[in-house]
Amino acid sequence: MNMKRMTALLKRELRDILRDKKTLFTMVVIPILLYPLLIIGMSVLMSTIMSSQAEKTYLVAFDTEKAVEKEFETIFTENKEDIGYQIEIVDVNNYEEALDAEEIDAFVRETADGAYTLNYLSAKDKSSTAVSALGSAFDLYRENLREQKIEDAGLDVETLLNPISFQREDLSSTEESVGNLLGSMMPFFIIVSILLGAIYPAIDVTAGEKERGTLETLLTLPVTNFEMIMSKFLAVSVIACVSAMLNVFSMGGAMVFLVSSSMSSMADNMNITIHYETFIPGILFTLIVMMFFALLVTAVCMCTCVFAKSFKEANNYATPVMLIFMFGSYVTMIPDMELTAQTAAIPIVNVALLVEGLFQFSYNYGLFAIVLFSNVAYSLLAIMILGKIYNSEAVLFSEGLSSIKLVSKRSDIKEKQMPGFGDVILLLCVVLLLIFYVGSYAQIKWGFAGVAIQQGIILLCPLVYAWYIKADGKKLFSLKPVKPLQILGSVFMGIGAFLGALLIGGLLMPVFPDSAEGLTQLDNMLTEVPVSLLVLVVALMPAIGEELLFRGFVMGTLKNKCKPVVTVLVTTLIFAAYHMSLIKMFTIGIVGLGLTLAAYKTGSIAASMCVHFLNNLLSVLISKYPEQLQKIFPVLFKEKLGISGMLILAAVMIVGVSIGWMLISSRKENVKE
Amino acid sequence: MIVANDLCKQFERTVLEQENGKKKKKKSKKEKFYAVNHVSFQVEQGEILGILGPNGAGKTTLLRMLGSLMLPTSGSVEIEDQEGNRITDAVLLKRSIGYLSGNTKLYHRLSTREMLYMLGEIYEIDREEIVRRVEEIGKVLDMESFLDNRIEKLSTGQTQRASIARCLIHEPDIYIFDEPTLGLDILSADAIVNFMKAQKERGKTVLYSTHYLEEAQFLCDRIIMIYKGRIVREGSPAQIMEECKAGNLRDAFHRVMEEVEAV
Repeated sequence: MNMKRMTALLKRELRDILRDKKTLFTMVVIPILLYPLLIIGMSVLMSTIMSSQAEKTYLVAFDTEKAVEKEFETIFTENKEDIGYQIEIVDVNNYEEALDAEEIDAFVRETADGAYTLNYLSAKDKSSTAVSALGSAFDLYRENLREQKIEDAGLDVETLLNPISFQREDLSSTEESVGNLLGSMMPFFIIVSILLGAIYPAIDVTAGEKERGTLETLLTLPVTNFEMIMSKFLAVSVIACVSAMLNVFSMGGAMVFLVSSSMSSMADNMNITIHYETFIPGILFTLIVMMFFALLVTAVCMCTCVFAKSFKEANNYATPVMLIFMFGSYVTMIPDMELTAQTAAIPIVNVALLVEGLFQFSYNYGLFAIVLFSNVAYSLLAIMILGKIYNSEAVLFSEGLSSIKLVSKRSDIKEKQMPGFGDVILLLCVVLLLIFYVGSYAQIKWGFAGVAIQQGIILLCPLVYAWYIKADGKKLFSLKPVKPLQILGSVFMGIGAFLGALLIGGLLMPVFPDSAEGLTQLDNMLTEVPVSLLVLVVALMPAIGEELLFRGFVMGTLKNKCKPVVTVLVTTLIFAAYHMSLIKMFTIGIVGLGLTLAAYKTGSIAASMCVHFLNNLLSVLISKYPEQLQKIFPVLFKEKLGISGMLILAAVMIVGVSIGWMLISSRKENVKE
Repeated sequence: MIVANDLCKQFERTVLEQENGKKKKKKSKKEKFYAVNHVSFQVEQGEILGILGPNGAGKTTLLRMLGSLMLPTSGSVEIEDQEGNRITDAVLLKRSIGYLSGNTKLYHRLSTREMLYMLGEIYEIDREEIVRRVEEIGKVLDMESFLDNRIEKLSTGQTQRASIARCLIHEPDIYIFDEPTLGLDILSADAIVNFMKAQKERGKTVLYSTHYLEEAQFLCDRIIMIYKGRIVREGSPAQIMEECKAGNLRDAFHRVMEEVEAV
């Protein structure tokens, strides 16, 4: 990828999009003018209607004894505050006709058995308001009568009517109430505004470009397909992000204005202030999520619209996409739906739930990371599909869709090839998604057996993928016999890495106090499983599967294309990121670095498999036999490491790594000689 | 110099098939066919090659493959630059080719100057050099008066000149024009013909397809006639006319087409 060409392309795409009136309209005019006007205008309109209703005088007539009418006249004047409306009694001759002619809004009739009917017209707003006001007046009247009768009987009104008293008290802070309200509304606004921001530019750069006939011009330029797609993709993402932010800020501003104006009218007697600054962390996190989500939305929109030949056609294709996204965002309306490890991987839903949680002040960094990762994974998948589509001449030259090949037939693939970066990304995305959906389901359904299935997925995926693309398995997976001395060196390296991880864990303890609470459901489940099975599923299977995937497929591919430093670092980073925990990422990263170095230096995956197995075996033993191990390695169980402890750890670590390094290297030199 | 080595392009088309069973059901089937079928030729520096053929003969597909807009199903395209290097990489090929067809529209929302600057950046030309070239092209093509107008506001003739400017900005060695004079008035068409002649004189290679046989007769050094994806006649206009015993290229073209259709 040539950066100079990329930026030139990106600049052109952005300039082209920004000169499109449709985009500018949806991006600027709607959020900055229309939303605030609508929201504030509506609320002003509503409050004027409400107050005009309150000021209105409602006319009622009484077809009862005069005494009752007199009672009500006093109630209407004395309890005007309780009733909320001004009611006046008028005399009419024919009640039904008067009501029909709207001379009166309601009338009261006493029936033969001493009951009353409140007659009104439900079809008329004014009449409905009048009858509900009458209803409150009747409640007061009944209460008065009740008190009167009790007093007449010589009893105490208060003890008889209110033997106990109670009242509600809301202990949640005003911020929490506001957050709850915002949390249920914001996800929908955010998702829809990103969607609206992305959809027109996405159509413009795909179908619009075809319609204007500039796609063939673009194809005459010396740019690769990847540069072309990425520039389009980035341009649309940027526009989607900016327009979504404009939307959210203008909408948020309008809502803050509404809340504070309605609060200030109540605040006179309650003295409420809202500390809006408490929302700042939530808003910042929301902005980050929005950026990642914009990538996904852009990729999906572009994938859909690229099939269309014209703007109009693309609009039709975009409609179902919009509906799906809107339904996804409604999830926050379902009570008890929360962000969990499972829902965090469902596209759209995860963003809606995460944003809802952020406004309700629940920050879970682990789940936050999963949401971001899964959005990146989905976007990458969508971009890869987009790349395949843009590679297809049938789509570019509008010759029908039937000949697009998203997956090349195995028989068309050449023998003994090495996979590329695209293959690594695709494989990782597939593994991640399979673990999330199949793995999590299996774990919930079958418990420990599900864990084995999850490990099986990790083990099988790289093998099947490598088989399908007819990769040179021996070279890709570094399948090479390894000398015992090299294994020993790798083990030393592994010990060094393990101690390094302990050290980092100790250092990070003050930063992430949660990391001590590492006991998960899984750990609880493990105590019931026999040791032999634990060793198989927790130590042996990951040692083989994860090594095949990371030190095998990923490192094997990178080794072929990148410098050694880049290969080792990227492999380690992917390995750490794959464990989906911000807190454990550092410790796992250190162990991963040790494993990667062992595999890279020895040139054989067998070395890192051994070390990985030993590392996981140790974890199994710690959880199974804590007492015995505490006697042998007390350092593993220390709650806090002192400075001296850390220094000793660091020293042992350095010694371990150096011995390991020397053992592996010396072996290599011998081979050279 | 540009070389086409045994170029083939396969497409799919849908054909309706009548089934002979009891139920007469129309069934559509996919069928593969060659739009370009084993075509090889070579165009030298300072030469104008005309590609002639009826509609659907495969002219556009052939030119698209030569311009690396399409990948051939088999065969390859090769360019030899002035230093004698052979280039086959698609991105590098495109750097030495100026491609123009009826489908290569311009970016309507940009001005001609903005578009040329943008192209210059993509071709990785220095900023000062781009400014110089744009000034020069503006003078040569007499487009200084509308360089800063948005392209959507230009007339047909002005747009055509802007299109030529687009092909010129990277000073390519080879020009590939797909029916460049189609639908233009006499003045604009003459301007393009003169442009091609001027480029030939500067030692550039020009390939172009056309339906205007009179134009091809006096402009081209060599002509290739294609029919159903195959080359059916090749040679200089004079040669072809002599072989067909025709007084002009139009008659020669008719004879060739009658001949191949009879086979």
